[in-house]
Amino acid sequence: MAILEIRNVSKFFGGLAANSDVSFEVNEGMIMGLIGPNGAGKTTLFNCITGYYPPSKGEVVFDGKRMNGLQPDKVCKLGMARTWQKVRPLAKMTLLDNVMVGALCRTNSLKVAREMAMEQIGVVRLEHKAGFLAGGLPIGERKKLEVARVLATRPKLLLLDEVMGGLNPAESEDIIKLILDIKAQGKITQMVIEHDMKAIMRISDRIVVLNSGEKLAEGEPQEIVNNPEVVAAYLGTE
Amino acid sequence: MKSFNNRLASIRGAGTVKIVGVIAVAAILFAFPRFVESPYALHMMILFFLSTLMGSSWNIIGGYTGQYSVGHAAYFGTGAYTTMILLTFKDIPPWYGVWAGVAAAVVVALVIGTICFRLRGPYFVLASIAVAEIIRVTALNLTDLTKGAEGILLTDIPPFMIGDTILTDFSSKVPYYYISLVLALLMILVTWLVQNSKLGYYFQAIREDQDAAHSLGINLTIWKNAALVISAVFTSLAGSFYAIFVKFIDPTTVLPLDLSVQIVLISIIGGIGTIFGPVVGALVLVPLSEMLRSNIIAQGLINSGLVSAESATGIFLKEHLAHAHVLIYGILVVIVILFMPEGVLGFFRTIVARKRKGAA
Amino acid sequence: MTFSVLLQSLVSGVLVGGVYALIGIGLTIIFGVMRVINFGHGDIMMVGMYMTYFLFTLAGVDPFVSILATMPLMFLFGAILQKIFINRILGSLPQNQILLTIGLGLIMSNSAMLAFTSDYKILTTSYSSSSFNLAGISISQPLLISFLITCFITAALYWFLMMTDTGQAIRATAQDREAAQLMGINVKWMSILSFGIGAAMAGTAGALISPTYYIFPQVGSAFTLKAFVITVLGGMGSIVGATIGGVIIGVVESVAAVAISSDWKDVVVFTIFLLVLLIKPSGLMGKSHM
Repeated sequence: MAILEIRNVSKFFGGLAANSDVSFEVNEGMIMGLIGPNGAGKTTLFNCITGYYPPSKGEVVFDGKRMNGLQPDKVCKLGMARTWQKVRPLAKMTLLDNVMVGALCRTNSLKVAREMAMEQIGVVRLEHKAGFLAGGLPIGERKKLEVARVLATRPKLLLLDEVMGGLNPAESEDIIKLILDIKAQGKITQMVIEHDMKAIMRISDRIVVLNSGEKLAEGEPQEIVNNPEVVAAYLGTE
Repeated sequence: MKSFNNRLASIRGAGTVKIVGVIAVAAILFAFPRFVESPYALHMMILFFLSTLMGSSWNIIGGYTGQYSVGHAAYFGTGAYTTMILLTFKDIPPWYGVWAGVAAAVVVALVIGTICFRLRGPYFVLASIAVAEIIRVTALNLTDLTKGAEGILLTDIPPFMIGDTILTDFSSKVPYYYISLVLALLMILVTWLVQNSKLGYYFQAIREDQDAAHSLGINLTIWKNAALVISAVFTSLAGSFYAIFVKFIDPTTVLPLDLSVQIVLISIIGGIGTIFGPVVGALVLVPLSEMLRSNIIAQGLINSGLVSAESATGIFLKEHLAHAHVLIYGILVVIVILFMPEGVLGFFRTIVARKRKGAA
Repeated sequence: MTFSVLLQSLVSGVLVGGVYALIGIGLTIIFGVMRVINFGHGDIMMVGMYMTYFLFTLAGVDPFVSILATMPLMFLFGAILQKIFINRILGSLPQNQILLTIGLGLIMSNSAMLAFTSDYKILTTSYSSSSFNLAGISISQPLLISFLITCFITAALYWFLMMTDTGQAIRATAQDREAAQLMGINVKWMSILSFGIGAAMAGTAGALISPTYYIFPQVGSAFTLKAFVITVLGGMGSIVGATIGGVIIGVVESVAAVAISSDWKDVVVFTIFLLVLLIKPSGLMGKSHM
């Protein structure tokens, strides 16, 4: 069953189309990969889905609800959470506080939020850093902080924007395991933007390719690798 | 995990020490007027409590939530004018008028919040100034209501009664001392409550990164306005108290841009986003600015023999230093921003932490 | 309101607006190059006013001639301020930058109060209140002279920014600081230069209005606010915008003073300011930097 439906979504900035007429569905429990060259409109699509800007045309349906025009906080409350391409830790708060902010989306009690947060910090294996200021953590741990923070909001759908960007291979491997673990638990659907082709082929059940704001291809990883149009887009041939 | 729990335990331990300390200080402050009768000393303490109240109120919206309002004179003036107008024109005693002032300030805060919170960073600062200036000019021109530039002078205050018992007739500074002390302590308590609740987490998240906060389910409009309303309520109380205490208000004393700036500086100089930062700020600023105002410094220089009283410099200092007490705010804020970005409190904390590290 | 009254207020609005534009241009250059909003801008102008006042009373220099001295001195003053203070906070939070410039402004205005007392000083020249008639409209002579000087200075500044290498380097820095640095532009020097120019513009504006305005230590804050309104109206960082914004505010003030009452003209100005911030925060001319 589709948890997220993107129907003919377009987004224009001035006269420029960052997304035009993109449609696809994400089924419950799967990992959907979203790839494309720089400037293909991947992050714009994330922003349209999560309410940062309304789509100029088309609609986003999540869990049977039309999302157009909903603000990001509402979107999060409804169970859709995102991370940021450029990490956004709450720098002068501790790792624990950061994750608690996420958890407070579901509870008013600090005590409950603290427990929920510690649980997610355990998932990303950063218990030993819980009392550290988020701004001082190295990049790999800040990325994990973001994942723990969105997990604490108890999402049904997780949108991860280049969560492996800037990480070394070992750190990337940690994140890949994390994503696969989340999938194995079967409660959370994931959509992942990633530049690392090997990683995305390994984790995705399906992949959507964007190019110049349009959907170029969709299919299972193997189909995508063998799609001549995709290869052409990446190599830049006409 | 264990070390983390230990750390939590030690934080709680430090918390207990702090609570005991605060209670002890509060007890001393409550007993203070029994031992010190000097109206001047009481006056200074009242100014200190009032500054703490103003700085801590701003701290909620500026320090915790990161929305640098430089228009807080609007709430101070709203409180002061509402209470004074009700008292002088309608004979409504201040202990009722104050609450009308609070209500008015909440309305003003919500209007300002709706307008200004769509803007971020420096644009928010500019908008907050603009709104406060509009209110000041309006108060200046609505002469039927506010007496304009002439100001409102209070000749007598009705005694504070519950039933038929007169609690106080406001003939000395003592009742003002207790009222301002209670207000300041209440504000510190409110700050503590904010910091230790969902409010504090959400306010700080907004301060650190609005977009990230938004994506974590925080409704920016609601929570920013909540912070502003809390801040406005107590700034309004400060304004009402000031009006009754000084017994005279006009737009240049309770609504100017300078006042807004001073409110911000109390918190900045002490250290923003902490419970005791504004207290430290008030502790630094009130005596310093009073020393300049009352010519203690000029007199001290003359008495110490550094400057002769008859010399041109001596006469000059005695005549002019008093007018320039705001100079100290300027110098302090420049020093703090350049050398102590975490405020005086933060500065000393780092020094202590460094020493401990060195000792370990 | 008759047509001639309206025309009269339009003309004097444009004349005053020219000087406002000069203040706004200074603020916008500083913002453009350093992304710092200078809350001490009006106080810098106040320093220029006192400088003009003392050159006139002590040395008998005509205020309009004194610009030749005021402008370079104020440039130096600004450059020093930038080098000692502003330079240290270029990378820090906008709030801290604002507070630092507020602090510097307080120091300037309160030092002036310490040195010159808070008395209002009036600089009276032989032509301070003289005016002439043009088709039934009276034109104040000092305002006209200052307007013409403003036009000349603004034109010279355009020429400098557009035609000289240094001007281009300043514009490049304003457009993209990092890229400019990579291109080998001495960004620090450009910052000093632009703060100097900003201060010189503010100081010159101070000199130009001193024959028609009271001089006192607190005069700055009203002009700081006006400068913000002007630059936001024109678009932060846009010099053309600041010029147009200055004239608009001058006209709005003078028409509002006639049409409503001079007591309420500031309310009109600030309301327009808020509306612009809310409806078109990028200003009438500029790109948004929000």
